[in-house]
Amino acid sequence: MSTLVYMKILERTPEKYDRGMRILTLGRIDRIKLEIASLWVKSGHYVLEIGCGTGRLAALMTARGAHVAGIDISESMLTAARRNAPEAELIHMTATEIDKLERNRFDRIVATLSLSELEEDEIAFVLRDSFVLLKTGGKLIIADEVKVPTWRKRFLACFVSWPLSVLTFLLTRNTTHALKRLEGRLEQTGFRIVARKNYLLGTLALIVAEKT
Amino acid sequence: MMLNLLKDIWFLFGRLFPFPAKPGLRRAGNPDRLSLVLVTCNFELTVRKVLRTLECDGIDAWLLVAPTKGINVWCAASGGYFSTDTVVSIIKTSGIENLVDHRDIILPQLSATGINIWALRERTGWKPRFGPVDIKYLAKYLECVGDPFERKYRRIEFPLGDRFVMGTNLGFSSLLFFILPFLVASIWMDGLWWKSILLLFFLAILNSVLVFLLPGKPGVQKGFSLGVILSVIFVVIRQNIWTIGHWETLEQIGWIILLSTYLGYDMPSWSPLWRAEIKELVMGVKRTLVEVIPEQCIGCGLCTIVCPAGVFELDSGIKKSMVVRLDACQACGACIENCPKEAIKNNFRSGTCSCPTCTVINSVKSSKRKVLHP
Repeated sequence: MSTLVYMKILERTPEKYDRGMRILTLGRIDRIKLEIASLWVKSGHYVLEIGCGTGRLAALMTARGAHVAGIDISESMLTAARRNAPEAELIHMTATEIDKLERNRFDRIVATLSLSELEEDEIAFVLRDSFVLLKTGGKLIIADEVKVPTWRKRFLACFVSWPLSVLTFLLTRNTTHALKRLEGRLEQTGFRIVARKNYLLGTLALIVAEKT
Repeated sequence: MMLNLLKDIWFLFGRLFPFPAKPGLRRAGNPDRLSLVLVTCNFELTVRKVLRTLECDGIDAWLLVAPTKGINVWCAASGGYFSTDTVVSIIKTSGIENLVDHRDIILPQLSATGINIWALRERTGWKPRFGPVDIKYLAKYLECVGDPFERKYRRIEFPLGDRFVMGTNLGFSSLLFFILPFLVASIWMDGLWWKSILLLFFLAILNSVLVFLLPGKPGVQKGFSLGVILSVIFVVIRQNIWTIGHWETLEQIGWIILLSTYLGYDMPSWSPLWRAEIKELVMGVKRTLVEVIPEQCIGCGLCTIVCPAGVFELDSGIKKSMVVRLDACQACGACIENCPKEAIKNNFRSGTCSCPTCTVINSVKSSKRKVLHP
């Protein structure tokens, strides 16, 4: 019986995932997605979304007239995404397979709360390949959990992030690692940071980097 | 050393929780460009066990530790965390392609639940094959690859050590479920909570360790049998030698039988040999069914290799696979995942081994996953 109870609590579904992520970001993620679609994506843009999840952002971007290709490794997420964003091209693919896509094709590459689910080596791989896939002047837009730089803020952030991480794990069965030195790594790859916005005591950030 | 010992003790009790090791490339011995390439999960205990076994057996190998969220091989594969995608990712990020001159890779047999060997081959260009059911058989397996005798290293077992470990985990998981009622009941019955916790662990371990000796079918029947046997022993001891606690004997006996029956019911969830009734309840099927469609079967024999329960056998005369031990089927879905011709029919969602971690972490998965290629 205990097994059944655990299973029911921890079963992963796209709906639970969306709800869990909303809780983790205290509702900020929906506003960030709206901001990405309205400020950074234009009609006619070719956009690659890494980890499209349930397709909420892909739907917003296709509504703006962008051509969106979304990748994810979860078939259940992709099924939900196909329902939510029928105009987007949605493919089962790992983030480390984006090197199979056409080079210099995309105007925007977007990743919301997906890089923090990857391992360090995978993140390095994705940053390197994103640079290759973007057109010159194209932008990599990342909205994700980040490590807070100063100790004082980090201490404060613990009070917010720890309970939320436990909640997220229970609701989505996902574990994430806050991204470390993301801007430095982007610059090392050849990107130029053009915008950064912080949310939730700096634990959640929207970073826009341009391929120069 | 001390840290590892403490970790092992925690692993012993807390297998339900993930313990991640850093994913990436490890060297066992002094591997060169022709050495074996193996893949495993990133459950820390498994990584250490694999490296220790390779060292003891004197096998030089490259070990790819895949990012499986710190979960063991079978459970991660069943829950979708040790999948074709995971192996694609570790092959690409580890840089192994530049370190060896061949493209052969050995996967743990129990990962077949989540890994489609054909899709992996197509997406990476590597030639994967499933190794033995346990790393301890790797040396023997390597000696007889291709020989039909290798199949004896592909059957899942449940030896005494594993039964003890799973018994402690059965106790631990049940404790998480029972702790609140125990504490509430202790308001009226002084000391009930700690006595019950001890009893719970004692019964859980005995249910698991003695499972082959107890009369009845695995599940409620064996749990009830143990409860009755222990009650008889308890009455004899209490009457003749000893006095334990202040409870009335009848109440104590009732409590022992009730707890033991419950633990017996949950025990198959913690065994690799029996399908858990709870799982079938969740899956909504009364009896797991697997069937080979002879017209579609090409006799490749992969189902006989990936099945850890020996459900299939290859008829060498007609060159078709046949179901020979349906009752042993664990409903893990490895055969369905890997059949190249979709020649195996089933009545369950694939990807659940009989352990509770799988039922816990398993998401909604279709009975046959399609891997779409870019």
